[in-house]
Amino acid sequence: MIRESYKGAGDDILVRASLNGDKDAFGEIVSRYRKMVARTVKGMLGDSVFADDIGQEVFIKLYNSLSEFRGEAKLSTYIQKIAVNLTLNEIKRRKRFFSMFLQKGNDELHEYDIPDNGDEQRNDAREVVNKALLALDPRFRIIVAMRMLQGYSTKETAEILDLPLGTVLSRLSRAQEQLREILKK
Amino acid sequence: MKKMNSSEIRKLIISSLENETDNGMVSSELLEVLSYDFSDGFEKRVLNKIFTEEPAMKRQFEFDRSFNLAFYRIALTGAAAIVMLLISLFLREGFLSFDSLLGLSDGYSESIVCLLTGN
Repeated sequence: MIRESYKGAGDDILVRASLNGDKDAFGEIVSRYRKMVARTVKGMLGDSVFADDIGQEVFIKLYNSLSEFRGEAKLSTYIQKIAVNLTLNEIKRRKRFFSMFLQKGNDELHEYDIPDNGDEQRNDAREVVNKALLALDPRFRIIVAMRMLQGYSTKETAEILDLPLGTVLSRLSRAQEQLREILKK
Repeated sequence: MKKMNSSEIRKLIISSLENETDNGMVSSELLEVLSYDFSDGFEKRVLNKIFTEEPAMKRQFEFDRSFNLAFYRIALTGAAAIVMLLISLFLREGFLSFDSLLGLSDGYSESIVCLLTGN
């Protein structure tokens, strides 16, 4: 089957074909979900140069763990979980690094750079959103990224993050307060 | 797409926070403006890493596995040798001491000093 014929194929067909080593089928999965992963990773890490590497890691991990995907949840939820875990690991890793070598204390992620793609408005918007998100505590940042950038409901956010619904709601409310303060400055 | 400046974008984010529904705080207008994506050639790089570097990854995995196996075998053999040495010392001396473990139980301290210093 050539790549074009996978365009409208269901996720289950793509997963089965990928498990048989079909490069085109997995390519279609990457193409279908790359923006979703980018929103999570870049929402959490900023428009950093490392975000691309984490994005690649997400899909490599997905490929290596496809045999464990039972199809009980949606493929997008499964990918989202991998993206969230890898991004949180990266944040922890950087936090450790900065606390060890730079004694910087809390926020680790201010060295993002906004790639200049010539679209001033888009760059402005990203800068505003990135600065606001990065000023949040990572626990709140992930919830805002899920809700604001991905449009997941509270229930879906809780499912993806493996958190109780009440925890998501309380973190969301605190994140909203913090974000309002940051944006009003 | 309508042109917006930073303060308008700020207002848009704040309003998306305030208009909370269970469908999430997503604002299609905001998403359109942000449009996060990875750099060009992302997909190709991912596929290359998976489908061309896989044999190298497998080799690395095989090496790690063999190395771990060899390490455990050596460690187990070493542990068994130490246990056997302790048992043989106990059977010969009737007790265990640090000196007997070092093979010094029969020596006098003066003769050891002479041996070490050459005097």
